[in-house]
Amino acid sequence: MTAVTPPRPFARLRLLAIAVALCLMSACTSAVGEQNDRGSTGDPVDGGTLRVAAKTDLIPKSVFGQSSDGGNALIGLVYDSLVEYPHDSLEPRPALATSWKVAPDGRSIHLELRDDVTFHDGKPFTSEDVKFSIQTIADPAWSVQLQRTAAAVTGFDTSDPHAITLKFDRPLSNILDLLDIVPIIDEDTFDQVKAGTGYNGTGAFRFAGWKPNSELTFDRFDDYWGGKPHLDGVDVKIVPDPQAQASGLRSGQYDLLLGTTARDAETFGKDKKYAVLDFEGATQQTYVGFNLDNPDLKDVKLRQAVAYAVDRERILDEVYRGKGIAQNLSWSPSSPAYDEAAAHHYDRDTAKAKDLAAQVGKVPTLPLQYIAGDPTAEAVAQIVQANLADIGITVDLQPVEYAQMYQRLVGADFDGLWIFGHTYAQYTPATLPVSAYPFNAEHNASNFLSDQYAEHADAAWGAPDPDGDVAEDAYAALNADMIDNVWLTDLVTFWPRIVTSSSVHGIDYTKRTELILRDAWKDQ
Amino acid sequence: MMRPKAWVGLGLVGFVVLLGIVGPWLAPYGPIDQIEGANLVGPSSAHWLGTDEVNRDVLSRTLSGIRIDLLVVFLAVPVGAAVGVLVGLVTSWWNVTDVITQRVFDVVLAFPTLIFAIALSAFIGPGVWTIALVIVSLEVPVFGRLVRTSVRSVREMPYVEAAQVTGAGSWWVLRRHVLPNSLEPLTVQLAVSMSVAVFIEAAMSFLGIGVQAPHPSLGSLIKDGTTLMYDAPFLALGPLALVLALVLGLLLISQSLSEAHRD
Repeated sequence: MTAVTPPRPFARLRLLAIAVALCLMSACTSAVGEQNDRGSTGDPVDGGTLRVAAKTDLIPKSVFGQSSDGGNALIGLVYDSLVEYPHDSLEPRPALATSWKVAPDGRSIHLELRDDVTFHDGKPFTSEDVKFSIQTIADPAWSVQLQRTAAAVTGFDTSDPHAITLKFDRPLSNILDLLDIVPIIDEDTFDQVKAGTGYNGTGAFRFAGWKPNSELTFDRFDDYWGGKPHLDGVDVKIVPDPQAQASGLRSGQYDLLLGTTARDAETFGKDKKYAVLDFEGATQQTYVGFNLDNPDLKDVKLRQAVAYAVDRERILDEVYRGKGIAQNLSWSPSSPAYDEAAAHHYDRDTAKAKDLAAQVGKVPTLPLQYIAGDPTAEAVAQIVQANLADIGITVDLQPVEYAQMYQRLVGADFDGLWIFGHTYAQYTPATLPVSAYPFNAEHNASNFLSDQYAEHADAAWGAPDPDGDVAEDAYAALNADMIDNVWLTDLVTFWPRIVTSSSVHGIDYTKRTELILRDAWKDQ
Repeated sequence: MMRPKAWVGLGLVGFVVLLGIVGPWLAPYGPIDQIEGANLVGPSSAHWLGTDEVNRDVLSRTLSGIRIDLLVVFLAVPVGAAVGVLVGLVTSWWNVTDVITQRVFDVVLAFPTLIFAIALSAFIGPGVWTIALVIVSLEVPVFGRLVRTSVRSVREMPYVEAAQVTGAGSWWVLRRHVLPNSLEPLTVQLAVSMSVAVFIEAAMSFLGIGVQAPHPSLGSLIKDGTTLMYDAPFLALGPLALVLALVLGLLLISQSLSEAHRD
């Protein structure tokens, strides 16, 4: 007998209502989208100071190490680089270098430099400044993640003040990453940088002052080579509490937030008074790291058990509100190193995790350190703790102040497990295993050393074409190393989200999460 | 006869104590159980106070969190009071020890409570025992000072001089005459200190230097609730109501004791 659905009164009316609702929703969505794209609409207005709330303060001795929101703001505003990647691609565009050419053997690069650039103190920019900047980044004292790449530049031809040739002993597949990342600094005033008292760059804004744990201030640089910026200045207030940042934006105290939680960003995105800017190419990762110097974490089976146990999809959905990718490797799908199977090798499998943990035997309580006072890190840590409890591993959560977390990362000094963020997978793939603190094959935060991994990192680094066959083989080998050895396991790849008031326009971000405000302006 | 406000105070405190004792057995979930798919669910019949950002039942966490506050109220405060009374009794009898002890008390009391708490947690780390230690450390000088006032006035009384003339030792005089005469102001102060202790726990956990995740206390639950105030305003309501009930109840009790003492 065929079941017959009884006719439903008002069915058409209901369909019509749904259609109207969908139209309204799509109109709302477009409105939000317009808010997010507002930078390109309307005529820019000169004047005003942009008030920015940042979560973490400048750490002077790590200012070139992407160590904090305050430090990143300073680098983005005060300094320029030779080339610039847009945040969503690896196609460099001219900045202080107007053109460049890599030698056919890959062992040198020649750059033509702008001849109309001065530092904030009036000194002209020359090729000697490029040499000094790269040599500074190569100095291990500054703990810069690109140090190895900078140190691989072994020769500088500065005979022409407006051109430079950089020479290497071997091809460097990520040389353009270095040129995008290295800020051009001034040798004559470098003592001030060391002391944290002054920063003389060529960027759109001049450093005006720093009150530790309080604020950084910047003034407009009228002689900026790219044209006078619209804003009079920028005040970056240090506001570690995301809730205080959100309240400050709502009350009109701030114009732009550099530390909202994903949930707050989602809430702001529904309100036309605010805009949420997504910088999808400038991806970052949250990961669980393992210090292999801890005897309890030496057995790879235990690390694999953890990798299988964590619920990445839940972390993505509930903590990052779906804005990212849940995967155990760092590469974005657009990266030449991306391998979907490898990226999901450790998709959650509690049975397998339990089995691996059982093979290890009794596991003592493991310390898990995360950033104190960071609601996102705390939520992720608690989910990971619950996931590991499911397979019989007890974890002791230990909140650690941000500056101390950073020190421990650089010094490879975590007690056991830790949750932190990393970056550099958005660059040429060789940059990650050669440069990033958690992945550096020579010295990493996990104290994981492997000749095989170092060899594969080297092969990727020296590949003549980052998209060629040689490089692809090296990337596959690196992915296998990461899967087999699990000295860390990525949880979520996500992109930065900046929340602004709707009166702010023209905001941009570098690929390494530094603010670009040279075209920014505020409604008066 | 007990005053009505004393009954109200006892009722409020008794209610919270009862919840703290039996609540965890009645709670539908464990305080750190994460419930699949229940992310920031609003109050409902399944979750009376909703669920938090990592899918935990807020009612179950609140009932469990009460115990932390009861621990600091009914353990740390009495310990601090006992030590303070003992130190105050003994040292204030003799002038030299009295001067030394009072200056030490001055130093401790000169620190604002939260500055002292932050400094202590920097040394020994955050946690429930840090809260207890802060409260004990702060209550010792408070009770020491209070009992000193009694000692200094009672020791000049004729009956004390008479006892000493008959050969009574200092310890006997302190125990037999001084302490009983100090009890009434001490009981009033005990109730006041208990209400202050609830605030200290809440403030320390709110600042992140008290009870640590994933374990709940009323203070940490309020902190979690304010973090999500715009998305889930219901999260902090339950813990806030309980802190209010506990503080109000203890203050009403202390007021009643004080009034009875004056009468």
